[in-house]
Amino acid sequence: MTTIFRHTGQHGLWATALGASLLAGMAAQAQTVTVWSGYPELAPFYEHVAEGMKATHPDITVDVQAIPLREHERRVALGIGSGSAGNVVIELPGSTANRYIVNDLLNEAPADVIEFVSNPENFGPFFVDAASFGGTLYGVPLFRGQSALFYNTDMFEAAGLTGVPQTMAEFTEYAEKLTQRDANGNPTVTGWSLRLSGGGQGIAEKFWINMFQYDGGLMIEEVGPGQWRVNLNTEAGRAALSQYLDNVHTLRTVTVEAPADAEAFQRGQTAMFIRESWVIGDTAAKAPDLNYATAPLPYGAIGLPANLYVSAEDDGADAAWAFAMATNEPENLLWLLENVGWLPNRGNVDYSPVTDAVPQFGGFLDYPADYEFFTLPALAPIEELLTRIANRLVEAFANPALAGDAAAIEAFLQAAEDEANAILAREGLLAQ
Amino acid sequence: MLRRKRWIFAILALLPVLLVYGWVRIFPIGEILRLSLHKWDLLSRNKPFIGLDNFRELFQDTLFQTALVNTAIIAFGVLLVTIPMAMCLAALIYHRTHARFAWFYETSVFIPHVASLVPAAMAWKWIFDARLGPLNALLGVFGVEPKAWLFDPVLSVVAIIVLCSWQALGYAVIIYLVGFKNLPHSLYEAAKLDGATPFQAFRFVSVPLLKPITLYVSVVTLVSAFNVYAQVFVLASDAQGAPGRQVRVLVLDMLENAFRNYRIGYAASEAVVLLVIVLALTLIQFTLLREKGGRR
Repeated sequence: MTTIFRHTGQHGLWATALGASLLAGMAAQAQTVTVWSGYPELAPFYEHVAEGMKATHPDITVDVQAIPLREHERRVALGIGSGSAGNVVIELPGSTANRYIVNDLLNEAPADVIEFVSNPENFGPFFVDAASFGGTLYGVPLFRGQSALFYNTDMFEAAGLTGVPQTMAEFTEYAEKLTQRDANGNPTVTGWSLRLSGGGQGIAEKFWINMFQYDGGLMIEEVGPGQWRVNLNTEAGRAALSQYLDNVHTLRTVTVEAPADAEAFQRGQTAMFIRESWVIGDTAAKAPDLNYATAPLPYGAIGLPANLYVSAEDDGADAAWAFAMATNEPENLLWLLENVGWLPNRGNVDYSPVTDAVPQFGGFLDYPADYEFFTLPALAPIEELLTRIANRLVEAFANPALAGDAAAIEAFLQAAEDEANAILAREGLLAQ
Repeated sequence: MLRRKRWIFAILALLPVLLVYGWVRIFPIGEILRLSLHKWDLLSRNKPFIGLDNFRELFQDTLFQTALVNTAIIAFGVLLVTIPMAMCLAALIYHRTHARFAWFYETSVFIPHVASLVPAAMAWKWIFDARLGPLNALLGVFGVEPKAWLFDPVLSVVAIIVLCSWQALGYAVIIYLVGFKNLPHSLYEAAKLDGATPFQAFRFVSVPLLKPITLYVSVVTLVSAFNVYAQVFVLASDAQGAPGRQVRVLVLDMLENAFRNYRIGYAASEAVVLLVIVLALTLIQFTLLREKGGRR
């Protein structure tokens, strides 16, 4: 009995040791990579990439977690800050990622990633710079948020408009002609949907896009190395705010309470609005019968590159970088453009199979040679600056007393500018 | 010796609970107090001590002031709506239905309290919709002009008070019903013999005797209303298709400062202010209601 037990015990020990070593070997190879995205519509894209990786990387399991942007920002701040995130691929704009990079919370890119990203055939210097910090590469460029005009071609035709607005003054003229009203004169279909309410920095970003059309007016400007200034009470700022107020309160081509943004456009509740290319994919899914086109803006557009960063260790980091690189496979980028609509940043890929089939991409890709771009600066308090400005703008948009009152507009913009510059001063970033 | 052993046993028995309580309740409060005196961006290892600078900045911050005023209006608004309404509803349910349909009314009133907040707030967002909302349609029947409930600075606060009160009412009614069930019946009979009308019996018998319940319900309602956040977030957040005016409240401002602006120390100082306000209000409520109740 004892012998049998002893033999059984020995076998058991051997089996346990063998099992443990096998499990240890598997653990060393199998890796789970979590993908954190701030755009729920990108979840199918990342899942598509993961599916494609199965053949070449059967040991990598990808868990895609795409949630709305504001929650994503909080998740990154808490997860990466506390070091409890595990092996993560994080989608972030360079302006936000730098905050994590300076605190050594994101991995430097390995040699093969540097080689791929630094190849000028793959990415232009704008995208490489946006994924780098202090000359070191940290991210893999993926897509960009770029704005253009979306307009309802049926409504343009009905209003007798044959072209698109070429100046900001024409935007207002078009909006007047496009607005449909009820018997009391209240707009039932807005001529031009503007971002007038809600919360967050988006309101300030949209205002900046409009401001930029007035000869490249910059809301936040780098005056010298590390020295910044907020410009709101400028010719461009005053013109942009006056235009908002005229449209809302004087001409009533749009109202604060009117349905807005992509949803309103897809439902035929607005004739035109300025937005990024994701609206194309969204509209294909939600309003496939909508007749619309896109066009570049009068002066230029925002270009907000989103990159993939890695926070992981050892084998987990290798797996995470492998996923980030796989997103840039031509087949995946074409899938992204066709199914989601965000514009890929990689240059040497033939996107014509998609862009030829979907002419609405023309407004984003076929722009004049002198078309200008701006981006959000990689500035520590960028979110705070834009959120503060947005809060002020919301109050202004809802204030009919400001409309047509040049002195009041100037005073309002000066107060907003002073408040924003005080934040720069607090952080030691204000240009003297 | 036996007494000492009992003491040691009692302390040892309580120790795990006290440790857990200290860890999850006391330590975070201490940590918030400590952080409020530091400048910290959540990510940096460097946390310089800056004394009361965060508090100095806070009281000059227009957004914080707006948030404080809005939160106070909402909290007291909810209190003023909820307490009398809950007491009246509980009285009606208790006295008028004689417990026959009480379960039905109790359940009906309590459902909003247990309903998931986000879908409930979305439903209210639709009710308050300026164009398609049934509230404006109803007002239209009486010739009232449609109101921009979620955009007007005053009406948007009113909308939040309505939503929060709707949610808080069920809990308050249930607690008041417990109070009513424990009131001695003989007092009502005596009041009746003295010629008191039902309203007088309610006013001069129920209301004073329910003061401990009122104290509890008002403290819970006020503290909960001072922490209002999700209702505001859903009614008027970044909902791009259905815009709304974001009513700035303290918790929203705190979250924005902590996780969007990466100013943890500053957000902690806001939390300290909120803690002080809630503690002070609770003390005032205890003083007003408990002492007077005790003298009676």
